[in-house]
Amino acid sequence: MTDVALGGAMPNGEELDRLIQLIASERDKQAFALLYKHFAPRLKAFLLRQGLAASVAEELAQETMLSVWRKASYFDPQRAGAATWIFTIARNLRIDHLRRDRSVSTPDPESEDTVDDGETGEAFVLRAEREERLRTAMKSLSPEQAAIVRLSFFNDKPHSEIASELGLPLGTVKSRVRLALGKLRTLLEGQL
Amino acid sequence: MSIQHHPSDETLLRYAAGRLPVAPGLVVATHLSGCVECRARVATFEAMGGSLLEQVTPEPMEPEALARLLAQIDAPAPPPRAPAPRKPLPTLPGGILLPRALRHCEMGRWRWLGPGVRASSLTIAQDPSARLTLLRVGPGRKLPEHGHTGLEFTQILSGSFSDGFGRYRPGDLSEMDSEIDHQPIVDPEGECICLTAMEGEMRIGGMFGRLLTSFARI
Repeated sequence: MTDVALGGAMPNGEELDRLIQLIASERDKQAFALLYKHFAPRLKAFLLRQGLAASVAEELAQETMLSVWRKASYFDPQRAGAATWIFTIARNLRIDHLRRDRSVSTPDPESEDTVDDGETGEAFVLRAEREERLRTAMKSLSPEQAAIVRLSFFNDKPHSEIASELGLPLGTVKSRVRLALGKLRTLLEGQL
Repeated sequence: MSIQHHPSDETLLRYAAGRLPVAPGLVVATHLSGCVECRARVATFEAMGGSLLEQVTPEPMEPEALARLLAQIDAPAPPPRAPAPRKPLPTLPGGILLPRALRHCEMGRWRWLGPGVRASSLTIAQDPSARLTLLRVGPGRKLPEHGHTGLEFTQILSGSFSDGFGRYRPGDLSEMDSEIDHQPIVDPEGECICLTAMEGEMRIGGMFGRLLTSFARI
């Protein structure tokens, strides 16, 4: 078992990556339990913020962690960190769930590879760099711009919901979303 | 071939967040399969998702949730789903294949929509309500005119068209807001095949628009 187990502190990104790798290589349940304790409650909170009912958020958090157990061998820390990888699993399960909800057929077994970037190799270049740049860029946005970007991520009808959440007219929100994302783009590209 | 026209950052963010409706999502997925730049952008927005996941205030799970899951992982995993037989992708006029991103769609037959304009609707098993259309428009012809209340996404598969914003070639994606009145016209060199989907309700406009509207509702 890793030293993650020893300290009570929140595991950092590399430790979380390591836990997934232990699940993949050793089928290590203790590593899984640690990973679960970190991510399941966050997944539930995240899914709740996205507007799902508590019971559904709980169920999808469980399903996500079950997928993490089963698919751990596909985890590649050079492409995406633990949190990002787990986020994409939860995202795809949520999409499948919403489709099932409309009483339609089985989820797409390949829905996780809608983008086929296996051949190009560009994915490997950048993980650490990408995450670092993003962190720096998000910090450089004004608090309002950062809030707008975050809300765009969580809301289905971003503009109207952001408008009511921030008490701004719809047109203003549209242009502010554009400005905030434009600034983010400049910041991300400026660091190249 | 360099791609000139891309989805907006907001669209890529919504795609990465899993918040784009199915049909526009498939148009964007088709674009991504040919666009390294946009793939990198989506990866960045996914990393944003990861960082938001790290930052939320955790919400306690039910007391026995972990125990239940541990019991579940002890049970034998369900047999892996047999990989769906790989159907060959349909060929479009001009010999190009239907993009792989659309491999789960059923392609309808080409129907006449007006002089020089044909359309084939793609149905998506997971979501029969999604409206995704292939258009095949002759040289010099206008693309069907239709107002719409949300965004309209059009990915060029072959040929090219031009509107007030420039020329769109294979690999380009045109993303148009409902507020913008634009009239794409296929370039004289040859037929243009494109994939199109929109968000929001269509408004009727022009003969083709009416036809397309009724067509899309079939």
